[in-house]
Amino acid sequence: MTEVRISHLTKSFGAGPVVDALSLTIGHGEFVSLLGPSGCGKTTTLRMIAGFEDADSGVIAFDGSDVSRVPAEKRDIGMVFQNYALFPHMTVAQNLAFGLEMRKIPAAEIRTRIARVLDMVQLGTMTERYPSQLSGGQQQRVALARAIVIEPRILLLDEPLANLDAKLREEMRVFIRDIQRRVGITTVYVTHDQAEALSMSDRVVVMFGGRIAQTGAPADIYDRPATRQVAGFVGQVNVIEGVVETASGEGGHVRLPFGTIEAPRIGAATPGARVALALRPEAVSLVPPAGAGWQGRVVSRHYGGNLVDYRVAMADGTVIHAQTFPTTQFEPGAEVGVHADAARLWPLGD
Amino acid sequence: MATGKRRSATLLLIAPAALVLLVFLVIPYVNIVIMSFRPPGEGAPYGVGFTLANYRKFFSDSFYMLQVLNTLWIGFVVTLSCLLIGFPVAWQLARGESRLRPLYYSIVLAPLLVGIVIRSYGWTVLLGNNGVINRTLMGWGVTDGPLPLMYNGLGICIALTHVLLPFMVLPIMSAIQGIDPSLEAAARSLGASRAVAFRRVLLPLARPGIQTGSILVFVLAISAYVTPALIGGLRVKTMAVTVVDALIDTFQWPFGSALALVLSVVGATCVIVFARLTRMRWKVA
Repeated sequence: MTEVRISHLTKSFGAGPVVDALSLTIGHGEFVSLLGPSGCGKTTTLRMIAGFEDADSGVIAFDGSDVSRVPAEKRDIGMVFQNYALFPHMTVAQNLAFGLEMRKIPAAEIRTRIARVLDMVQLGTMTERYPSQLSGGQQQRVALARAIVIEPRILLLDEPLANLDAKLREEMRVFIRDIQRRVGITTVYVTHDQAEALSMSDRVVVMFGGRIAQTGAPADIYDRPATRQVAGFVGQVNVIEGVVETASGEGGHVRLPFGTIEAPRIGAATPGARVALALRPEAVSLVPPAGAGWQGRVVSRHYGGNLVDYRVAMADGTVIHAQTFPTTQFEPGAEVGVHADAARLWPLGD
Repeated sequence: MATGKRRSATLLLIAPAALVLLVFLVIPYVNIVIMSFRPPGEGAPYGVGFTLANYRKFFSDSFYMLQVLNTLWIGFVVTLSCLLIGFPVAWQLARGESRLRPLYYSIVLAPLLVGIVIRSYGWTVLLGNNGVINRTLMGWGVTDGPLPLMYNGLGICIALTHVLLPFMVLPIMSAIQGIDPSLEAAARSLGASRAVAFRRVLLPLARPGIQTGSILVFVLAISAYVTPALIGGLRVKTMAVTVVDALIDTFQWPFGSALALVLSVVGATCVIVFARLTRMRWKVA
């Protein structure tokens, strides 16, 4: 197992920096996701860890030794590429043997290690197939097997599930995480898919514009986003602005454009201060209009199977996004009572 | 029923090309084959009856055998030098990031834009005993007399390499463009140096382009007429030049036909053997 320490890593292509003074430590055996929109620098960061790009400045260290000037082939990493990058002229077995041959492993051991890893990815019978004879999901598993069969210090995955269909993608999330746990390898996973990052990672690093916006456990990122940008990128969110009326400890009474609410956490705000509160759609429930809560009118409804998506116009015109279980449903145009779970309100920084 | 319809549509689509091939290639070829078994004629292309004399004449005279070997050797040298010179160029064109790439591309294509006679004449200006290269070398005192650059195999190889280079560069370039750049990254992440990644991954994947380019250049080199005729002069003759000599100069149509057929068979055999040796077992998805 290996600890990766990145400090003040910077890289520019022409105009502005793509990665801007990024510092991050990834612990032994930890699974860390770099999450962000395209162009946020996550893939460039990964390629610098792999050694495919040289940093303009900053240091990358594996277990305390600086590898910034070590070429990719000497870094002892395993990498899974978005398009799998399997060698089309080699069979599955030859693809897997490649890295072991580079390490001068004896032929007999190569055979046993390939058999063991293929067993792990449930492709034991596919050794003599060429990549073009495999399905996308099978190619993906071969790519993963090829990366871990060399028993690298670090596993790097660059959007590995982006080319799979939705169902397979969810299966592979569990599969990859399971194998990573069994092998116990330090892993960096690049994705723009927040569901992947949240479901697989020990820790999520949200990046915007080459900088880290927030680092934390998946629940931290989702329930306690640091900024509007993070809140908006990781899942769906209502951002409601209000004015603090009374504050007591962590919480306080906040006046919103369409009502008031007693929130247990409003940040360290004094009466009269403006606050922005994040409210996840699933923390909003709709009740018949006679019930408690704010009053609103359903603007639209989208049925999603396990959840129903509503847009509700409040008295002042603010539109609140709500997701509820489909047990009770409201027609578009219906008057409803809107109830927010105050415990799920979270104050956002800028 | 449906497949029958599809089959007739297929036939209809290939009919024009098939007709052109039949009229302008197959029929003349059959004519050449028949003519090669005719005795020479007086005042006519060939006489009456059939004979093996033309082939007997070819195989009994080592002069012609040597000429075949010489032609194949020129084809081999030209193919190899086009490959060695063309591969880096193709690589640069396929993978280079220079903004001048369109310019490089047009430089590669440039030889095809100049008529073959003019191009070959240009080489005689450069390579001749009184040509630019020899005069410069003698002017600098590097050599006392002119170097033999023309009227020999060397001159033919130099000129043919220049003429045929695009036929090597273009197929290799398109093969390299089809190789996913992340394959090299994958090889290096697995511990292969750049050189090993090139040898084990990129070169095998560029092989279809190398194969196509080599066959094109080889076939065009052994059948080239204008360039060997102008550069080789009277002293060095390739098979194509000898065939034309027999047909035009000495008016031996049946013997010329036999020579042309031998050249075709030898050339085709070389290509088939080469294609067999470099055959690929895998296919790209």
